[in-house]
Amino acid sequence: MSGIEQLERRLEREKRARKAAEAIAEEKTREIYEANVRLQQLNGRLEELVQQRTVELAAARDEAVRASRAKSDFLANMSHELRTPLNAIIGYSEILLEEAAELGQPALRSDLEKICGAGRHLLGLINDILDLSKIEAGRMEIFPETFVVPGMLAEVQATIEPLVAKNGNRLVVEAAADLAEMRSDLTKVRQTLFNLLSNAAKFTRSGTITLGARRLPAADGDHIEFRVADTGIGMTDEQLRKLFQAFSQADASTARRYGGTGLGLAITRHFCRMLDGEVSVESRPGEGSVFTLVLPARYCEPEAAERAPTGAPGRQGLLLVIDDDRTTRELLEAEFAGRGYRVVQAVGGAEGLRLARQLRPDAITLDIVMPDVDGWSVLRSLKDDPELCRIPVVLVTILGDREMAYALGAAEFVTKPVDPARLADVLARVASAARGEGEVLVVDDDTVTREVLRRTLAKQGWRVTEAADGRECLERLGRGRPAAILLDLMMPAMDGFETLEAIRARAEWRAIPVVVVTAKDLSREETEWLTRHAEAVFQKGAYDRSELIDEVERMMARRVPA
Amino acid sequence: MKGIVFTEFLEMVEDKFSPELVDRILDTAELPSGGVYTAVGTYDHREMIELVSCLSKETGINCADLLRSFGLYMFERFYILFPQYFKDISSSFEFLERIEGYIHVEVRKLYPEAELPSFACDTSEPGHLSLTYRSTRPFAVLAEGLIRGCVAHYGEAADIEVEDLSGGAGTAARFLLTRRDAPR
Repeated sequence: MSGIEQLERRLEREKRARKAAEAIAEEKTREIYEANVRLQQLNGRLEELVQQRTVELAAARDEAVRASRAKSDFLANMSHELRTPLNAIIGYSEILLEEAAELGQPALRSDLEKICGAGRHLLGLINDILDLSKIEAGRMEIFPETFVVPGMLAEVQATIEPLVAKNGNRLVVEAAADLAEMRSDLTKVRQTLFNLLSNAAKFTRSGTITLGARRLPAADGDHIEFRVADTGIGMTDEQLRKLFQAFSQADASTARRYGGTGLGLAITRHFCRMLDGEVSVESRPGEGSVFTLVLPARYCEPEAAERAPTGAPGRQGLLLVIDDDRTTRELLEAEFAGRGYRVVQAVGGAEGLRLARQLRPDAITLDIVMPDVDGWSVLRSLKDDPELCRIPVVLVTILGDREMAYALGAAEFVTKPVDPARLADVLARVASAARGEGEVLVVDDDTVTREVLRRTLAKQGWRVTEAADGRECLERLGRGRPAAILLDLMMPAMDGFETLEAIRARAEWRAIPVVVVTAKDLSREETEWLTRHAEAVFQKGAYDRSELIDEVERMMARRVPA
Repeated sequence: MKGIVFTEFLEMVEDKFSPELVDRILDTAELPSGGVYTAVGTYDHREMIELVSCLSKETGINCADLLRSFGLYMFERFYILFPQYFKDISSSFEFLERIEGYIHVEVRKLYPEAELPSFACDTSEPGHLSLTYRSTRPFAVLAEGLIRGCVAHYGEAADIEVEDLSGGAGTAARFLLTRRDAPR
């Protein structure tokens, strides 16, 4: 074989090898392409699956939300069902207690006190369960206010003393001299102390219960420390570990011997944490327990940090004046600055709303006719905003549309030209009146509730008329105008909301003050609606009778002459 | 069998013997592929056996010695062609331990259809390495050559004992490597 021939054959082999390699490369390229297409399809399918799963999850979430709402509704209804008969038990036993005292029958007294006490205890348990469900649902809100600590302690002492004395215990209050004021949620602080003290009273016999309070100064804000110490049965380490958990008491036998839901301490701890504080406990079996509660002396609202005060706070509070007329603004500022208010001016509705959100004034005066956003829109925005709806608004206007102002929830009404003295009166909400000069219409489908209310009011000297539902109430109003209406919410045929709407729809009835008396656990929307339409809301079984009477008297004093 | 084994074999023959010898064995051997190989292709392993036996006839060197030598040669070629597999490896034991778990894994990414032999590895005894070769093809001797090539590549001194596990078929064998400095 010649050299040339050999080279040609090698070349031929190389050529064929190259072509084979190219074919393989093409094949591989196609395979990669096809794999990519498959991957893309898979990706598309995955997205479809994700979407489908998202829809399923959304449905599951909606279902959970519905279930949670059903649970809330159930609890609200349960509380209604339980509180209505309790209201009768507590109300009647109180009336009978007074009558027994008047008739000089002390023998009945202790029995009646037992009925009344048991009723109140049951009410406490129901309230605990509702509180806890509210906390768990994130619906528990904080209402900070400034109060005098020794005053609060004295009140707590007065209330708890009978309970402490029951087991032969002695209550010692050790309040430091520098306690002064604190800003916190008074109701929750009080309830927390009651919880701790009633626990101490429950687990101590013939011993001493000490309620101590002192101020803990600190550069970044003082704290107030409350201490509840007892000489009772105490707790073991294991019992201490489970102490603050809901539905758990030291052990099951404790529940049988001492009663209670086991919710008190869980609620106590939730409240403390909501108020940026903490509760701790030390205890030894047989020697007693010490609960220590440390709360910031000034509770800072979450949004407070954003609020930038633009000047020294006024002694009386911050007033926001919304008016497009410069003369009116300056007049109001001069008037109220002189009375110790800090006054901030807004030249129109839009700026007024912005400043209201930013500064959270204590009160607002509002003009109606303004070029940008008119007063009605401002008022509606304020009342629709859960953060702002509690700020009292006084309309300062030349329009006489007082009905609309009331319907939209204005706290009071003054006309231009302004009488500063009257306006100051309104802002301060000073009210007093002689009782027993008017007629009160009680609207409730529950005969027993009506009876209790009637007797309570009659004792105070009011004339009382009754209506069993909304329709009857409207009929009554057609015959004559009462000085005030006490209105139940849940009634057959025509409920409280409809009734209130109907009352407010008639010009001649619109000014009649309405006090809602309800056993329903109100939702936020309902509460808002009611605060816009009613003067005050009392919960059946949960209200203090004297508070109710005070409220009625306040309304009487503010009554607009018919 | 991967085409690279064929192309490297022919290059070795060309290199160690002569291009003419390559032509001769390609002419005499009975090869379905016609002796046309590309590194990225796949060919019947019997063609390799045929090529080796033709070379043996031409040179008078027995097949086993030829395959062993080819293994030694091919290991050095692997080092040149695929340096990425040698990164961060400083000894023959390290490399041999990684055949199954790393190198063959990488090969399968490129050639999912490749039929690779298995190399079970046992390093429980310090200084000793037991490597068990199992294949559907009779290339235990080629594997031995590769292992020797590996030890030589790292400039190490190790004794290699070969234990046939296939009754002379050459499809399974255990290689026992002992470093000269290892405790006996």
